[in-house]
This record gives sequence, structure tokens and C-alpha cells, in this order.
Amino acid sequence: MRCPKTKLISPYLDEEIGQDGKAAFESHLLDCALCSQALEELRVVRMAFSSVERHQAPYGFSTRVMARTAELERKKAPWFVPYFVGFAEAAVLLIVITAGVLAGKVMTNNGPAGGATNMASSLSLDVFAPAPQGSLGGAYLAMTEMKK
Amino acid sequence: MQNPDEIKLITRFKNGDASAFEEILLAHQDRIYNLCRHMLGNAHDAEDAAQDTFLKAYQALPKFQPDASLYTWLYRIATNVCIDRRRKPVFESLFGGSDEGEQLVHDHASDAPSPEKLYQSKQLGQALQESLDRLSPKLRAIIVLKEIEELSYEEIADVLDISMGTVKSRIARAREELQKYMIQFREQNPAASV
Repeated sequence: MRCPKTKLISPYLDEEIGQDGKAAFESHLLDCALCSQALEELRVVRMAFSSVERHQAPYGFSTRVMARTAELERKKAPWFVPYFVGFAEAAVLLIVITAGVLAGKVMTNNGPAGGATNMASSLSLDVFAPAPQGSLGGAYLAMTEMKK
Repeated sequence: MQNPDEIKLITRFKNGDASAFEEILLAHQDRIYNLCRHMLGNAHDAEDAAQDTFLKAYQALPKFQPDASLYTWLYRIATNVCIDRRRKPVFESLFGGSDEGEQLVHDHASDAPSPEKLYQSKQLGQALQESLDRLSPKLRAIIVLKEIEELSYEEIADVLDISMGTVKSRIARAREELQKYMIQFREQNPAASV
């Protein structure tokens, strides 16, 4: 046998029944042994939850989540981006090498203003002569040549 | 309804400020982890599920409409992630202490329980654990949201996207089943003083 008002026991326990409903159900409980017993039994069930422990997120949890979001962002980039980055890197490298060569020519007084012939001579291995003419090393070498 | 701080955070995130998401994460990680922990029963699965929850939130946040509270929305994602998982028996360690790297919150840390109370609590916990394992995922979710997360019926209806009537009937059914299973546990384990 079951009382039709047993469905009110849970909302009553959870205080989700409203003031009027609560008063009416409490009045019903005085007369209904079935509902009173069922209420007590459900209170035991609720009591079992009272000692449930609460857990906190483990140490480093937020760092791990943020790392995964960063990974998501990387995956979101269009497929051609890695190729584009590689191309850009190669272009920058080429520019740096060219600038280095040009700067080297200026420092050895064989800049671009010297014309096409100077350009050819600037790229010759004379640049790597033991001692450039007019330098202190060059004067020393000239003196040793004269002694011979 | 959202609070103004949450709206500001979401607006910042939508404008490309990734640190706003980290603030949301830090504010909600413990609640979401606790829900996953009790839905899945162990620390490892709980961390996976909680991480998945926040990743889904990260992806969906740009489309988030401020007509619901952020934590309700996160709970909804987490509940669905956990229901989808269902890989292992739940509530394995509901009362069994924490796994490695995990932290527990004690509301009354100074009130050290007596050995007798600890024993009773363990027995009760074991009965509850085995009973909860036998609930369907939907009933398990609703009872965890109610009894552990302490959400109101209205909030649960919002999280699970169901009517208030369904919330009432499911909670009542979950409790009835729990009660039935706990009685069965007591009959099978007479030594347990549940």
C-alpha cells in the first residue's frame, strides 16, 4: 500500500514545496504513518551524503588546461601557415646574407658605387690577402721583402 | 542570470584576452572537478573529464549567451561529459580518501571524528557507494547535483535541461532506488550498522 502523497516527501526534504505546501504536508504527516516512515527512511539516505568529502582540483590542473587551450589555438592556424613561416624565414636569411656581403664590400672600399668591375673584384679572393695594402701588417711584409 | 563580473570576463575573452579564460577556470575548477570526481569515482578520470569540460567551454564560450549563469553552463557541460564517459564504476572512492595529488576540503577540520563515528561513516559510505553504483547515469547525475553540489531544483532543471516536474520525479526516484539498494546492502552485510 502506498500513499499518493509520498511524491511530496523529496520536495519536502529539499524545502522545495513552498510554505503552504509545507504546512499542508506536515499536517498530513501527523495522520499518515506510511509517509512518516518513508520520510524517516529518506532522511537516513540523506544523512549518508552528509559525510561525503569535497575534492579540490589537483595541483597544476589549471596549468594543464591552459596548455591544452594553447595547443588548440596552434591547431586552429590554417594549413599553409607553417609553409608561409618557412618561406618567410628563408627570405629573412637571404636578406641577412645579402646585407652582409654588401656591408663587407663597403668596409673594404669596394662598394656598389665602384661599378660592375669593382663588384667582380670585390668578390675575388684578394680580400683574403695576408695583409691589405697600406696596413701595418702590409708595411711589415714589404720591409721583410726588401731585406731579401 | 549572470553577475556583472562574469559578463566582463566573457567580454574580455571574446575580445581575445586569454587571461580572462584562466580567471574563469580558476574560479570554477574546484566545483567542476568535485562534480566529475563524484560522477566518475576516481581522480584520474575526474581530471580527464574536468579538463575536457573546460576545453569544450573554451571552444564554446565565444557563442555563450548571457541568459544563464556561467557555473550552470559549466555544470551542464561537465555532467554531459561524465555521462558520456561511464567507463568505470562510479563512487569507487567517495569516502575512501584522496588519490595522489588531490586535495580534500574538510568543513570541520578541527572536529576530529571518534573511531566509532569513523567506522559508522565508513559503513554508511560503503553502503551508499555500492548503491550509487547501481543507479543509472541520469539518476546518478541528478542525485550528485542535489546532494553533493547542493543545487536547487531550478538550477538542476537548468543544468540538465529538463522540466521542474522531471527534476522532482527523478530525485524522488533516485532516492527511492538508493534506499532500496541500501536496505539490500544491509541485509547482505548484517555486520554493517547502516
